Formats: sequence, C-alpha cells, structure tokens
Amino acid sequence: MHAVLTVAWQRLRGAACGAGLGRGVHAGVRRLQELAEKGAEKGAESLSGTDLSPLILQRNSMRWDGKTYEEIPIAHIKATYNNTHIQVVSFDNRPFAHTSCGTEGFQNAKKGTAIAAQTAGIAAAVAAIKGLTMGGLEVISITDNTPVPHNGCRPRKARRM
Amino acid sequence: MANHLRFIGRTVMVQNGNVDAAYGALSRILSQDGIIESVKQRRYYEKPCRKRQRLAYEACRRVYNTEMARKISFLARKSRVDPWLGC
Repeated sequence: MHAVLTVAWQRLRGAACGAGLGRGVHAGVRRLQELAEKGAEKGAESLSGTDLSPLILQRNSMRWDGKTYEEIPIAHIKATYNNTHIQVVSFDNRPFAHTSCGTEGFQNAKKGTAIAAQTAGIAAAVAAIKGLTMGGLEVISITDNTPVPHNGCRPRKARRM
Repeated sequence: MANHLRFIGRTVMVQNGNVDAAYGALSRILSQDGIIESVKQRRYYEKPCRKRQRLAYEACRRVYNTEMARKISFLARKSRVDPWLGC
C-alpha cells in the first residue's frame, strides 16, 4: 500500500510570485497528487470539479486506491533560483505538510542546491505520510505550472549594465 | 493558468512508477514547445533592439546549420559500402 502523488511542476517566475527560473533536479514547482489510502473521505462524487459536456458523460475508470484523479492529494513544489518550497495539500486545499530548504536547516546559498531540495522533499513526504497514515509516496502525474505571461508585466532590467 | 482546468495543460502522467521518465518527457515537451526558453528570456527584460538582434542571429544560425547539415549528408553519400569489395 502506498500513497499516490501527482506532481505539479511549477517553474520559477517573477519577483511578485517567486523568483527566477530554475532548471536542475528540482527546477520548478511540481504538484504531486498524493493518494491517501484511508484518511480523506471518499465522496461518492464522480467527475467533480470538471465541467464536461453533459451530452457525452463517460466515467473515467482510472482509480488509484479507489480514488479518482481529482481526489488525490497534491504536492506543490515551488522551486526558485535560491530556494525550494514544498507543500502537500489535499485535493480540497487542506494542508498536510509544508517544508522548505530553510526549514531543513540550510542557509543562504545552500538553500538553492539540489541536495537541499531533495532533503526538503523527503521531509515533506514523510510529514505528509504521517498525516495520511501511509507508507511510501507514489507519483501519478507531473504538472508544470510556471506562469508564462502573454507579455504582461515588464520584468526587471538586465543585470550588469 | 488560473483560469484553466487544473492538471490538464502541461501534465504528464507517470507510467509504471517511472517518475524520471515522466519528468524527462515533460522537460522534452516543454523545451520543444519553447516554454523553458521563453521563461528564461523573461527573467530579465529584453529591450526591443536586443530582441531584434537575437532574432536575426537565430535566423542566420538556423539557415547556416540547415545548409551545413544538407551539405554533410550529401557528401556522406560518398562513404558507402564498397560494392566491388573482394574483386
């Protein structure tokens, strides 16, 4: 038995929301959908949250531990150039765990490394699993959620001018 | 992406628990679609003059690379198996 996660991967963005773009092992925010084996209530909802056409309403038969895709918890990973935050949340935005490289004891520049991100990830998984009384995390999907403006706000000026 | 459905765009399902392969697939798709490159460019503002220079440079580079690849593949036709080997 293991928890199932879908990861949403969000790359870095502007100063208002995060920091720059980070490519690397943990480059971006990942949203992990994590399946709670028991824990969360299993509603009798089908296709909740999605507004599909009422004409052809087919039931998606994919289940992970008896849960549909929409009911699986999510792990948001926000990876900036200088840090990585991970928050595990249920499908209805009830928080399970929140860790970052800073909470793991790293300081300043070391927070931006891949090792620090890995440590934060392990800590978040363990904390989330304790909240869900599970063992192991299974990732079922990865989403990239980097906000790309269609020429919206003007970013800061180029460096070293 | 706040106005769109969650987990539809830029989502890759993990098959057989192979997260690394899924991440690789996601990276490949994003880079092929030019999203990663555009995010990198938007980190700092690129002035219009610099942008024009960059686009011209990329166009020239593309032309040069395609022509060179064509030339090399044409010349590589010389290096085939010797039909008269053993004669």
